[in-house]
Amino acid sequence: MKRIIVDVDRCSGCRLCEAVCSFAHENLFRSSASRITVVKEDAFGFDLPVMCWHCSRCLPMETCPSKALKRNPEGLICASEECIGCGKCVETCLVGAIKLHPERHTPLICDQCGGKPICVRKCPTKALTYSETNVQRPKLPVKVLEETLRKWRIIA
Amino acid sequence: MPKYFGYAGRVLRVDLTRSRIKTKPTETNLIMEFIGGRGFNSARLYREVPANVDPLSPENKLMFATGPLVGTAFPLGARFNVSAKSPLTGILGDSNAGGHFAAEMKFAGYDQIIIEGRSPKPCLIFIRDQETQILDAAHLVGKDVYETTRIIRKDLDRQVQVATVGPAAENLVLYSGIFVNLARPAARTGMGTVMASKNLKAIALEGTGSVKVADSGAFWRIVEKVEEETYAHPQYWPRRIMGTTRILSLADNLGFLPTRHFTSATFEHAAKVSGERLAREYNVKNRACYSCIVPCSRFYVVREGDYAGLYGEGPEYEALSSFTARVGNSNLNLALKAVDLANKLGLDAITTAECIAWAMELYETGELSKKETDGLELNWGNGKTILELIERIAYRKGFGDLLADGVRRAAEKLGKGKEIAFHVKGLELIQADPRGLKGYGLGYAVSSRGADHLRSEPFLELSDDPDEGMKKFGIPEATLRLAHRGKGRLVRYFEDWCAVVDSLEICKNLAENMELLPLKRAAEITEAVTGFHFAEGSMSKIGERIVNLERAFLVRQGITRKDDNLPPRFLNEPLPNGNSKGSVFEIEPMLNEYYEERGWDSNGIPKTRKLRELHLEYAIKDLKRTDVKVRKKRNLKN
Repeated sequence: MKRIIVDVDRCSGCRLCEAVCSFAHENLFRSSASRITVVKEDAFGFDLPVMCWHCSRCLPMETCPSKALKRNPEGLICASEECIGCGKCVETCLVGAIKLHPERHTPLICDQCGGKPICVRKCPTKALTYSETNVQRPKLPVKVLEETLRKWRIIA
Repeated sequence: MPKYFGYAGRVLRVDLTRSRIKTKPTETNLIMEFIGGRGFNSARLYREVPANVDPLSPENKLMFATGPLVGTAFPLGARFNVSAKSPLTGILGDSNAGGHFAAEMKFAGYDQIIIEGRSPKPCLIFIRDQETQILDAAHLVGKDVYETTRIIRKDLDRQVQVATVGPAAENLVLYSGIFVNLARPAARTGMGTVMASKNLKAIALEGTGSVKVADSGAFWRIVEKVEEETYAHPQYWPRRIMGTTRILSLADNLGFLPTRHFTSATFEHAAKVSGERLAREYNVKNRACYSCIVPCSRFYVVREGDYAGLYGEGPEYEALSSFTARVGNSNLNLALKAVDLANKLGLDAITTAECIAWAMELYETGELSKKETDGLELNWGNGKTILELIERIAYRKGFGDLLADGVRRAAEKLGKGKEIAFHVKGLELIQADPRGLKGYGLGYAVSSRGADHLRSEPFLELSDDPDEGMKKFGIPEATLRLAHRGKGRLVRYFEDWCAVVDSLEICKNLAENMELLPLKRAAEITEAVTGFHFAEGSMSKIGERIVNLERAFLVRQGITRKDDNLPPRFLNEPLPNGNSKGSVFEIEPMLNEYYEERGWDSNGIPKTRKLRELHLEYAIKDLKRTDVKVRKKRNLKN
């Protein structure tokens, strides 16, 4: 399936993706309500956009107490009306791709903007691309950080 | 609270003496007259910090303000200004930084944060949306910028935005900055020192709020146009690859690179310490401020040689040039170490380098002995001494203590080197020799915060194209960098523009140098975002208003024409080498022209008519008093 793929070396950490995502979904600018979140470690100049990969095996879906997370016909995970806003999914997602809407308290999960992700279109450094991939699970952010620091020879 | 578009709509006031926290709506009249950011700060400082306030007393007020476009997807940066009366200069103190602090401040719900009084013990302000707490900061005392940021993020929240001061500020070094995102300082004029004098170690904030746009159709139309122009701009890739460090080679080529304390305008080792070399051998990736599409900041790793294993963000041209050409150092690794150390300890790199370079010149000419420097050998480019002095300044140890008050006071205390103490109104000169850039030089002389280019940045004179000058200013020389004529009009125009850009809190590199935000577009985007009516004319009026009010603040502090000057070297000694060779700076005719353009009298004081025209009636009585004093003094002389 098509997924939003991140090239961590290109990401400048500008968070424009958060801004345009929130506008596309909420009609206002609000990083806390975006479906994509840039994880940062200023000390290492590290910036990693994180969003739902729609993994083939999804722990939040399996452990949701109200079975509110479902997969749509395109294979995308989304929250249904049964959601009680408990936030369990936020904790169980291994890459930290889910956050709760600050007021509605429902999970914010990337919907790929119906096949035309605005974050990909607006990314100034082309760190985000939208393409077909068979990889079923993204790398954990901490792993990406480790690899980056090794590549830069900051750690051995 | 009123519901605003663009603006967060709230002003936060924290009185540290009484632990009182108040929130008020952002005043509509302030918006219409000053837009935001620097305009807000200057307007409020003028009203709330009178002439007799000691900058390091609880009566001084420290203000953070950001602008209406910040937090939206407007793609040209997201900055904030921090202002107070400056302990370094005694006049208006004001500095500006990028990163991610400003956007978070908007999401937390504030256009401006005002810090008053003095906390009885070290504290930290933590703002989470509408909840503001004053927390104990005993555990952060003496910690450097990096460590403080790390601890706060560990204790509060990993992604919280932190503005902090380092040990230099706590030791009341008069040119300490306030640092966000570790390596992004609001460094100039000692705002960190004011913050530390209030026993405030850091402000940490995070918010879940939003920024709404009044006319999203118009907003996206303008944004798409700006994006298109940016990506097609000839400066786009050079800025992305080198950021401002690209200027070092350019300054060397044109002959205005301050080398060995302005004794030379070219540096024979420029190629070794250039932005090009950093890009080739050190940089590993780009970073950007919130929502900015030109990621001009660079993350570097020192792979071999001295300090191998050192890594960090930056440096920008000013800091790079500070610790290379200005102090005569050709070791790039050492310069990176020096910038890193200055950041970590919380110092303004420009002023630090001027203090060191000033002492080096005195040492090299034999005026300063090893006995007076505590045994330090201050020959040009001595790396060990440079690093040692940065430490000694930050901790006010021995000879470092003398330099910790800035070059003006150091020269006074030492009783020598006064003519070569390169400052205007107490603020040390930046990295561009005014003899090779006459408009910039006039900008230093008249700037409302002292010798600094960011109040005017009249980059058009770098074009050296007389047609441009004729077209824009009706004076062909206005855009010839070595000419004196027309610079009054040039600087006035750029000062007004800068004031608007600073008040919108957009990046001047993009808005101005890349000409992506001319006043007409600034008006359009501000109107689209805020819903308030702004036109090109009202924007330039706002710029003019800010500049005049800041001038009134200075005049109230006793500043007049005599202070709008450059150090004697630039006026008397022709540039010895490079592509501006032989040039000197003629200040008097330029000042006359500038004052006339401004509607100020020959003593540099805004005329009543001008103040009335700009709705600054409340400043008239303050200035009249100065007028009278000046006249009386003159009469006595006669």
